[in-house]
Amino acid sequence: MSRFASGFLNGSPAALILGCCVVAACGADGAAGTAGDIQVTEFNAPVDQPAGHYGYGSDASDAEIAGWDIDIRPDGLGLPPGGGTVEDGEFLYEDQCAICHGSFGEGVGRYPVIAGGQGTLTESRPEKTVGSFWPYASTLWDYIHRAMPFAEPESLSDDEVYAISAYVLYLNDLVDYDFELNQGNLASIEMPNKDGFFLDDRPDVKNELCMNNCKDPAAIEITSEPVSLEVSEVSEVSEVPDVQVQSAAVVGKSPGESIYQQACALCHASGVGDAPILGERDAWAGRIAAGRDLMIASSLDGKGVMPPKGGQLQLSDEDIIAAVDYMIAQLAN
Amino acid sequence: MISNSDSTAGLLQRVSAEAQKLPQAERRNFLKNGLLLAGGVIAGGALSANARAAAENLPPNVPGWTRSLGPGVLTEPYGKPSRFEKHIVRRNVPWLTADRIASISFTPLAELDGIITPSSLVFERYHAGIPDIDPEQHRLMIHGLVERPIILTVDDLRRFPGTSMIRFLECPANGGMEWRGAQMDALQFTHGMLSCCEWSGVALSTLLQEVGIRKDAAWILAEGADGSHMSRSVPLAKAMDDALIVYAQNGEPLRPEQGYPIRLINPGWEGNTCVKWLRRLEVGDQPWYHREETSKYTDLLADGRARKFSYEQECNSVVTYPCPEKPLREKGRYEVRGLAWSGRGKIKRVDVSFDGGVNWRTARLKGLVLPKALTRFGLEWDWDGGPAMIQSRAVDETGYVQPTYTQLREARGTNSIYHKNAIHTWRLHENGKVTNVQIR
Repeated sequence: MSRFASGFLNGSPAALILGCCVVAACGADGAAGTAGDIQVTEFNAPVDQPAGHYGYGSDASDAEIAGWDIDIRPDGLGLPPGGGTVEDGEFLYEDQCAICHGSFGEGVGRYPVIAGGQGTLTESRPEKTVGSFWPYASTLWDYIHRAMPFAEPESLSDDEVYAISAYVLYLNDLVDYDFELNQGNLASIEMPNKDGFFLDDRPDVKNELCMNNCKDPAAIEITSEPVSLEVSEVSEVSEVPDVQVQSAAVVGKSPGESIYQQACALCHASGVGDAPILGERDAWAGRIAAGRDLMIASSLDGKGVMPPKGGQLQLSDEDIIAAVDYMIAQLAN
Repeated sequence: MISNSDSTAGLLQRVSAEAQKLPQAERRNFLKNGLLLAGGVIAGGALSANARAAAENLPPNVPGWTRSLGPGVLTEPYGKPSRFEKHIVRRNVPWLTADRIASISFTPLAELDGIITPSSLVFERYHAGIPDIDPEQHRLMIHGLVERPIILTVDDLRRFPGTSMIRFLECPANGGMEWRGAQMDALQFTHGMLSCCEWSGVALSTLLQEVGIRKDAAWILAEGADGSHMSRSVPLAKAMDDALIVYAQNGEPLRPEQGYPIRLINPGWEGNTCVKWLRRLEVGDQPWYHREETSKYTDLLADGRARKFSYEQECNSVVTYPCPEKPLREKGRYEVRGLAWSGRGKIKRVDVSFDGGVNWRTARLKGLVLPKALTRFGLEWDWDGGPAMIQSRAVDETGYVQPTYTQLREARGTNSIYHKNAIHTWRLHENGKVTNVQIR
């Protein structure tokens, strides 16, 4: 026991000395300028040396690069062979995209509006869409291929990406219904706002370092206060709120809720695709009547626009059942 | 002296209209959480119930924890905060985004001291959720206009000479909800898309040197391995200057929500350029103009044009105490505290005003003052119990002075969304409560 204690004591002075040195070196609480730059392991420019100096890693083969090199540039560099028509795109869009972006690109809930809005960029509520704001058509192809559909990125074929891109251009009145978008013509499509961007030229404001009597106190005016001031009567509440309840309300921790957030909330929080919204009893009444077993089966196998396991096939059946039970439990509150 | 203008009513109407678009349950939850947060703030001084229970643990009595044993080592092998700090969590604003998968959460700045943000509390921003990446199966590909295209494992990256630096990370949309008027009544929501960590990894210049850059190279595309394949074009000059490929933050491996196993850090630049779950760097001669640098992360001005590649996070500051989450209890002496930062270098000076910008006093910079890092400031102040308008105004080493809302709006209008770095005002009420206001 005594040896154990002395070991701790022996360690203490060194730690204390080290601590003092650190504080002194840092210029703790020092005024501006006195603290200095004490970061000794700051960025060091590498010395000039030939490529492959360290030789770590492996050479990337053309085939390996081709599998990951998906980026498209405004000049068309990177576009694969292929093409698709507006007509093909219409069908695909309705099937894959309209659930979030709306049949006319008008956006569902808070999902992005992607059509219309031309001429609104100077208005108080500008509508920044593909047609009104995006400078290049290449961005459309790149993004759809890169990140869409939201729940299943990289699931579309190249021709399908051309077709959907063509349809989105059509929704923005940029091409006719008989148009085919392809590797050869995409880069030549001129977007209405192509000249609407300019390089960063900040700083664009210059404030003065006034210290005294900088403005007339009598002229100070509150121009806005947040909406939640309306609930300031909370100040009369004398009980200490249960912070555990509060944090639980913000970050759920039960396994069922975690799975729900991961696999189900995308649609069941927003109502996208007519999914019943969590906690809204009327919307769930039919499913509750059909029973828990059927709800679980639908969740595992998929039903209508809902993919099997919400598209998260790596989840176990138990995970999905926990999420279903979580959603059922929310109806009891 | 102070009056509300008509624009407040206009703002409320707009906010209310926005809320109407939400499902009933979300609106209710948002309001409820807001109430609880506000309640937690206000009730801070009313510890009556707890105070009674605690009396038996106060002098001259000896508390139970002093007269017993606690749990042993390894009770929590990775550790966690005291159970009395459960309110210190990231929070989100549900109506901001359609879902939580492409969304953002906010750092609880009011609860933090010093300049380092604990890894668990660094704000989150994803476009396709958090990928669950096995580091053994993760690869970084570097190709394009290079002599030797390579594929690196995480172990390969760790083998290169390493470096560490403390740098802030900020979403350019931080405070973006306030362009049209004060809207968020908590520091967490007005400024919480902001964190600062010690980042450890390898200089990107070392890797580019390793692959050999061709003469016409000018840009680099950084791309993530998440479902969004998040991509940004970065000028080669930045990559060769101070960009890092990092595998650790605050001494531990990157957290999954911060890009595990590796991410790009562009110090002082828009957080979204610091691509997480980094899988690919392509060297090219032109920018790519992808979605996150055209449709998003461009700054729309009043004349309908938009600023592009506005990478730098300009000089900014905010008072973190007092604030809505941390009201004052009684009149007397306080150290007013805050954070300042600049994407262009070190903070040179911070001034604080208690009368809405009429008179200013220079605060003390505290602890480490590092380039492109959060910097602490503090100023002792005697509160007489009267109303006050507390502001901070930071100056960076380039001489840039943090602007007013009026100046920013004159230059940019109110549709910019990004890069709002205006001087912020906390209204201190006579009861010690603090609210978010905008003044002119």
